[in-house]
Amino acid sequence: MRVIRLGDDGVAICVNPDDQVSEVEIGLVDHVLPGDALLVHAGVAIARLGEARPA
Amino acid sequence: MKYVDEFRNAGLGKALSAQVVAIVEPGRHYKIMEVCGGHTHTIYKYGVDDLLPANVELVHGPGCPVCVIPMGRVDDAIAVARRPEVIFTCFGDMLRVPGSAGTLLEAKAGGADVRMVYSPLDALRIARQNPDRDVVFFAIGFETTAPSTALTLMRARAEGIANFFCFCNHVTIVPPLRALLESPDLRLDGFVGPGHVSTVVGARPFEFIPKDYGKPVVISGFEPLDVLQSVYMILQQLAEGRCEVENQYTRVVPYDGNPKALQAVGEVFELRPHFEWRGLGFISQSGLRLSPAYRDLDAELRYPVPGLRVADPKACQCGEVLKGVIKPWECKVFGTACTPERPIGTCMVSSEGACAAYYNYGRFARERELV
Repeated sequence: MRVIRLGDDGVAICVNPDDQVSEVEIGLVDHVLPGDALLVHAGVAIARLGEARPA
Repeated sequence: MKYVDEFRNAGLGKALSAQVVAIVEPGRHYKIMEVCGGHTHTIYKYGVDDLLPANVELVHGPGCPVCVIPMGRVDDAIAVARRPEVIFTCFGDMLRVPGSAGTLLEAKAGGADVRMVYSPLDALRIARQNPDRDVVFFAIGFETTAPSTALTLMRARAEGIANFFCFCNHVTIVPPLRALLESPDLRLDGFVGPGHVSTVVGARPFEFIPKDYGKPVVISGFEPLDVLQSVYMILQQLAEGRCEVENQYTRVVPYDGNPKALQAVGEVFELRPHFEWRGLGFISQSGLRLSPAYRDLDAELRYPVPGLRVADPKACQCGEVLKGVIKPWECKVFGTACTPERPIGTCMVSSEGACAAYYNYGRFARERELV
């Protein structure tokens, strides 16, 4: 899912490839930014796709 | 779309297929197990097996989380769901998995308050909205899904939500793989390793496979070219006399996994001494339960459950399918008494189940034509 914007309280507003928008918990992935592609399982991001971003 | 389109490119697929054909030894039969149900789904949706030579056989493993839940656990879930004070929540696939006397969907039709959710966080939301009811989440899945449940339970604890409980059926992938490798029924040449589980646990837990059993492992993504390339990488290891864990899915899987997710899982769960798997029986230290710090949120401790072991229907051969001993279409009831509309076994319920994948993507018809 692609991050559209960061929300409050450890969530991000994301869009999936079918253009459905949903809230994703991002507490398990560091340094998430708008535009990032996330791997999401059961509403929780478990990885960011692509190269790791330095802290 | 980036990370998707380039991994579905037909021209690249044909080129890779030619490389596979070039690397195999004529006269040798290769058996490669894809561990994850997501891979099985990709293989049959995109016809990846049609791009392989006849002597490279893909065998389906036990990595579909719905498929491995035994009937007795479904019975336990239904017993909890029927309690009047309970709102019982679960993923959609689990609603249709048969227990010994019906499904959760049938229990719902009979008056139980059973609700489908997409995430444990949805279940927690229901708990917030219904403070006078107990909300129970039927947690299933491998290490990929366990972090989501862990995070939800941590959030429930942090918010002081006292009416949210977990019926925990999370399982771990390494013990069944070891059980399969010890099985005399199956001779495998290598493994397409589970990509999303590895996102959490990393590649290290699979190092025992080359070290102790001399089989290559390639952790794979879920697009068709991911799987095809992973098969090629396994064949390349075999051709070169190498045997190691390789990571094809580098765009997602770090070798050491996701430390934050592992920390959350380690805080909220602990290993059970043993857990029953459909078709595989009891496997030591293969299931998770809530740790002492979270035990007050454990639905199994809050409510009495039957806790009985229930044998699969005699006609159902999900066990053999899950072990890769038979192909789905070789099951006696496949496509006749057991269909996605009226499943007998779990492998026909979930879209990640091997039987459903065969059935839904026309393999049933094809195999019949070949016979």
